[in-house]
Amino acid sequence: MKDVMGLIYTGENDIHLGELTSQRAVAAMPIAGRYRVIDFQLSSMVHTGIKNVGIIAQKNYSSLMDHVGSGREWDLHGKQGMVILPPYLTRDNMGVYSGLLDALKSNTNFLQRSKQEYVVLTNSHTIYNVDFTDAIRSHVDHGADITLLYNKGEKAASQGEHDIYFSVDENSLITGMEIGAVQPNCDCAAMKIYIVRRELLRQLVEQGAANGLHDFERDILQRAVNEGNLRLYGYEYKGIAWQIDSIQSYFNFNMALLDSGFRRQLFPSERPIYTKVRDDMPARYVEESECSNSLIANGCVIEGRVENSILFRGVHVAKGAVVKNSIVMQDAHIQEGAEIDHCILDKQSVIRRNGRLIAPAAYPIVIAKNVVI
Amino acid sequence: MSKKQCVAMLLAGGQGSRLGILTKKVAKPAVPFGGKYRIIDFPLSNCTNSGIDVVGVLTQYRPLELNAYIGSGSPWDLDLSNGGVYVLPPYQTGKTGEWYKGTANAIYQNIPFIEQWDPEYVLVLSGDHIYKMDYNAMLRAHIEKGADLTIAVREVPWEDASRFGLLNTDENNRITEFEEKPAHPKSNKASMGVYIFTWDKMRKYLELDEAKPDSQNDFGKNIIPEMLEAGENLFTYTFDGYWKDVGTIESLWESNMDLLTLPMPIDLSDKRWRIFARNPGMPPHYIADGAKVDGSLITEGCEVKGVVKHSVLFAGVTVETGAEVTDAVVMPGAVIERGAIVKRAIVAENAHIAAGAVVGEDTGNIAVVGPGAKIAAGEKVAAGVQVDADLQ
Repeated sequence: MKDVMGLIYTGENDIHLGELTSQRAVAAMPIAGRYRVIDFQLSSMVHTGIKNVGIIAQKNYSSLMDHVGSGREWDLHGKQGMVILPPYLTRDNMGVYSGLLDALKSNTNFLQRSKQEYVVLTNSHTIYNVDFTDAIRSHVDHGADITLLYNKGEKAASQGEHDIYFSVDENSLITGMEIGAVQPNCDCAAMKIYIVRRELLRQLVEQGAANGLHDFERDILQRAVNEGNLRLYGYEYKGIAWQIDSIQSYFNFNMALLDSGFRRQLFPSERPIYTKVRDDMPARYVEESECSNSLIANGCVIEGRVENSILFRGVHVAKGAVVKNSIVMQDAHIQEGAEIDHCILDKQSVIRRNGRLIAPAAYPIVIAKNVVI
Repeated sequence: MSKKQCVAMLLAGGQGSRLGILTKKVAKPAVPFGGKYRIIDFPLSNCTNSGIDVVGVLTQYRPLELNAYIGSGSPWDLDLSNGGVYVLPPYQTGKTGEWYKGTANAIYQNIPFIEQWDPEYVLVLSGDHIYKMDYNAMLRAHIEKGADLTIAVREVPWEDASRFGLLNTDENNRITEFEEKPAHPKSNKASMGVYIFTWDKMRKYLELDEAKPDSQNDFGKNIIPEMLEAGENLFTYTFDGYWKDVGTIESLWESNMDLLTLPMPIDLSDKRWRIFARNPGMPPHYIADGAKVDGSLITEGCEVKGVVKHSVLFAGVTVETGAEVTDAVVMPGAVIERGAIVKRAIVAENAHIAAGAVVGEDTGNIAVVGPGAKIAAGEKVAAGVQVDADLQ
């Protein structure tokens, strides 16, 4: 796939993720025990053979930059490799993007400088492990202007909220699009992954900006469908594509990983998800510890009891402590005799000795980074 | 290439034949250790943590896997523009060309490599020990004493001393005599095979030694005695941390088991002295409902549905329902099927133990299932037996 480049937009709305994104972009959120959300998008691109990836940063991007570094872990540290495109201020650019179109406008230079024929443009809040080769082939075969990847039916409904739905005809041509509908009539839920010719994307962005438009989906895609001036095609992706757009969907996604079939689908051995390596030792279980139905990363020390939970690297569950139905991020510490149920503990948080934090299943409690309770 | 104060040369060419089936196809330094490491991660990480950033790795026996593992050196931060890790196999020169004849000859053949860095000191390491050591502290001692050669030693129990190469010293730690496995030890200072030479002296003695046709070109047998005889300044440097030679099946197993005692005799969780390793990129490990894990180390990518007691599981190991793994070392990708029992054993990479098979016994020597070997359903592997995939 020498002829394809990647663009990842990380500036999406994160209001429903609350505390979890107060200090970091959604793309940099810890997920699945040892990853960050962006690992899935980057690894998918790399496994497609894409070598030139731009990451459009918007706000809170220091932890994102710290995570991706030079791109080495994804083999994107070469002469082409990976570029972080941070916001910047100029006379006609305010540095704050009001949407994807705005963000692309500020980075048309990058599009122009790149040499590849096609662009895979993705958001940074969908978890997937996709080899885009087949979708790109479908794009070329249909002679499409823009191809939109989508999930359908039950699959879409179970994997987070979607705000763009469309309908396709028997040739996969998109015939109608709804954005933000309360009761959508269309059945194709957009994954917000687009395949488009680089030159066409650049033209659309520049024209759109010249006409004072800001919203890529409403002002470019939906308008094109309604006016019929571009050929938009759908490509159904049948695998996992989980939207991480609320605390509930974040929680549910992590818990879904406790199912081995789901896990195997997301982590096939031929397409590993790469991430920043920490060099922790293997997890240590002391005698008398108890653990069931849980995912445990390297560097954890388990002395107490862990059930139905996901433990990130370096978590310590002390003697007599109980962790149930919870997500515990890097280096958090549950001290002796403490108990948590339905909690999301952010990095380095501490639940003090004999502390109890029991949340209802429908509404997990989030403990922010570095907080001691 | 700019000047380096000290360059490390890691001797990784030996077969390690006492590891039997485990080193049939890989060099000893590439043997997996401690759940996620290989033996060579220890000396390489020690170099990185000691600030030594030129490491020549001398390979000879079965180098493929070791070369692939070292790669560009990035896991150890040794992929540098000025320095880094270099794999140095023997090579041909004009009409001649030869294998490394001995430890000293391996360094001799790489004099041009060392000279590129114009070093003052050369650190010689081997790839068969598990330890965390600050080579820089040893280098400081070497410089302070004005030594020509400093040899790292451990004080071993007197009753074991006759199994080691021993260094007799005076009260200032100046070496007076080197004795290889003497029947009546005069010292309990055992050589760790870690040397720091002052480069110009080292070069002189390597060249002298090479000119002797009957020399075995070995540091212990030839170079050190020669330097002692000539009255050079040789000192010991005492290291008192954890150190284990993992050159035999029993010692490799024991050293893995050592990691399960608390507190760990060698702390692998120390953030100031991390042991770096190449990462296979697997998801966290999964412990199923009904599984039981006790006193063990489990690595990412494992799926545990059975019972694991006092064992070390490497990346991507599967332990199915009803299987029981006790006092065992299970290397990457191995599968232990339903109801199989593994006890006091080493199960090598990608080995497959079928349902109901029994590997190892409660007592006796360690049983070994070699890389890729398959144990059929219900089959038994007795204590001390090694199963070779090629003979199946």
